[in-house]
Amino acid sequence: MIKRKKVLVSLLCAVVTVGLLAGCSGKNENSGNSGSGDKVTLRMIESLTSPKRTELIQAMVTKFEAANPNIKVEFISPPFDQADNKIRTMLGSDEQLDVLEVRDLTVAEFVNNGYVEPLNAYADKWKDFATVSAVSKSVGTVGDKLYFVPNGLYERQMFYRADWLKEAGLNPPTTWQELYETAKKLTDPAKNRFGFSFRGGAGSNGTTDAMILAFNGDKVNLDDSMFTKDGATIYSTPEAKAAMDLYLKLYKDASPPDSINWGFQEQVQAFTSGVTGILLQDPDVIQSLQEKMAEGTWATAPLVTGPTGKALFAAGGAGWGITSKSKHKEEAWKLVEFLSSPAENTAFSKDYGLIPIHTSATEDEFFKTGPYKTLIDMTDKPDTYVNYKPPFQYPGTGQWGQVTMESGQSLLLNKSNVDDTLKKWDAYWADQKTKLKK
Amino acid sequence: MRKQRVFILSGLIPALLLVLAFTYYPFVKGIVMAFQEYKLFDLRSVHFVGLDNFKAAFNDPKFIMALQNSGYWVFFSLILQFLFGLTLALLLKKQFRGRGVYQGFVFYSWALSGFLIGMIWKWMFNSQIGVINDILLHLGLIHERIGFLSDPKWAMISVIIANVWYGVAFFAIMLLAALQSVPSELYEAAVMDGASSFRKLWNVTLPYIMPTIIATTLLRAIWIFNDPTIIYGLTNGGPAGSTHILSSLMLDKIIYGGDYGAASAIGIIMIIILLFYTIFFLSVTKAEKAGDF
Repeated sequence: MIKRKKVLVSLLCAVVTVGLLAGCSGKNENSGNSGSGDKVTLRMIESLTSPKRTELIQAMVTKFEAANPNIKVEFISPPFDQADNKIRTMLGSDEQLDVLEVRDLTVAEFVNNGYVEPLNAYADKWKDFATVSAVSKSVGTVGDKLYFVPNGLYERQMFYRADWLKEAGLNPPTTWQELYETAKKLTDPAKNRFGFSFRGGAGSNGTTDAMILAFNGDKVNLDDSMFTKDGATIYSTPEAKAAMDLYLKLYKDASPPDSINWGFQEQVQAFTSGVTGILLQDPDVIQSLQEKMAEGTWATAPLVTGPTGKALFAAGGAGWGITSKSKHKEEAWKLVEFLSSPAENTAFSKDYGLIPIHTSATEDEFFKTGPYKTLIDMTDKPDTYVNYKPPFQYPGTGQWGQVTMESGQSLLLNKSNVDDTLKKWDAYWADQKTKLKK
Repeated sequence: MRKQRVFILSGLIPALLLVLAFTYYPFVKGIVMAFQEYKLFDLRSVHFVGLDNFKAAFNDPKFIMALQNSGYWVFFSLILQFLFGLTLALLLKKQFRGRGVYQGFVFYSWALSGFLIGMIWKWMFNSQIGVINDILLHLGLIHERIGFLSDPKWAMISVIIANVWYGVAFFAIMLLAALQSVPSELYEAAVMDGASSFRKLWNVTLPYIMPTIIATTLLRAIWIFNDPTIIYGLTNGGPAGSTHILSSLMLDKIIYGGDYGAASAIGIIMIIILLFYTIFFLSVTKAEKAGDF
């Protein structure tokens, strides 16, 4: 009896051990053509996961599979918070991955580590590449190579409470100075009403950088936007100081005190729940504004400009790239091309609230009216609304948001002053420059 | 005899493999990384830098602040969680109608994830649209909204309040279980001797459940020290780093900087602190009382 038990236990242990070892070495087996015949399996992963978005992408993938019966797509959607880390892990451990969603924030890192394939050779042969907007191309490009085709662009614009402004007899502001004055007039803490939906928490550099860039105006080197044309950082100029002085006033006189720690959600929630009157955000908030606010209470306007009449804006975005280790690059490109085609991309942009990547799509009625119109208007005035390239090639960009947030909060709390804060930021980017040159 | 040993060893192999792969390998790797420049942005130039990561940590005022905050965070969270937990356990010890349901309500906070708790409290603490400010205003207790998470004077207190709310249930559960094991004869004897209820608590109940108290507080202190989720969800260390504790700062280094070297260095400092803490705690409370855990 005991002997039989012993044999059983030994057997079980052996099986488990073998199973474990097999599990560790198993990845070589499924990296080739799995299944029978010529059917190719592509593995694809997204980064900016949200339930609705995943559904839309899955629908496109299904369509693609129907059109290409010899290609099967395995679509992976990790939760948004962990997605980029999951992608990094998969790339780092050589797990099979063919198509991946690369973000403006991650592209430099992936290129630096040799994870992603340049797409120029493929794009040259693509008939619809001609209508891809210059901004979209620029977002997906590092150096002179294209590494991903964006699946839609995010661009900041102004949302404001049309009813509040009308009541106060005000026009939507066009400059940062006007924005401050308007917001101040709308502010009445006794009624828990504030002019500006300030964001001092995660993502605060969206405001500080926008202001400093707008104030520097023509001085900024658009291809290396943290620096002026003379090579100094944009934080070292007298214009930067003027911008930050106004930033401080904007917080103290026209924003909820609590907003020092607000991120995206609080900022938008404050606007939709009637606490704040002016919000600077990307078009992906349009849907939630439409859902939560009564029609006619809000409207959109272009970004506000600096003292020289210019507003610098960057388009953000993510898109589809191909891994350098993929064994099925041709098929992977087919998928990327399909997802990026004018028909698919325009439909996706409409459904999710993004700016489509093809210039031909702006002919669509949908983008000519309503809240998207201001974005198209901005594109039509390239002298006022100047597009710049964000500094994603620097290793420190990822941490920049955190650095500005913390020193910015110290500034807002009066624990430090504008000069010291700007000195810190100036030193940060001067340091980045020397690191990049090495 | 030898055959026996071979059999035992071979039986241990699967478990050993798992433990090595998922506990000791990451642990050793973490120690190695603490002495390396290991940044996600540049994995091609990973190299040893000696003690640079540690020096950088101690020269960073944020780290010093986080060290200090970790002290407050553990001390106040633990004391308050324990006191409220003990009170609840004592109240729940008596039989009364609907006790089971009531217990369920009291204990449910323990079943939530820390991150979720952070999110919930973040909205409640919000000064413009948060419910706490609203209630206090309506009760007339305050006249101006308080920036619970935006005012550095309040922020640390606020995150500790949320953490206390979370952890009370743990102590209540553990202490209640211990209380129910105190033999009723002891109380009968105490009553015979004319003991007051305070004396009963002090001389009978507490000594009897002391091993549980030691084990739970020791464990709980380590958990509180290591757990960044509530802070991550509530303030993300803000405003201006004033609510960072060591574990949230470590997370911050990875998420926003991709700097595994710096994060590992903080991790090692945390391990050293915990080691000292454990040695100190066990020697003061005499380890044998703590029982097996």
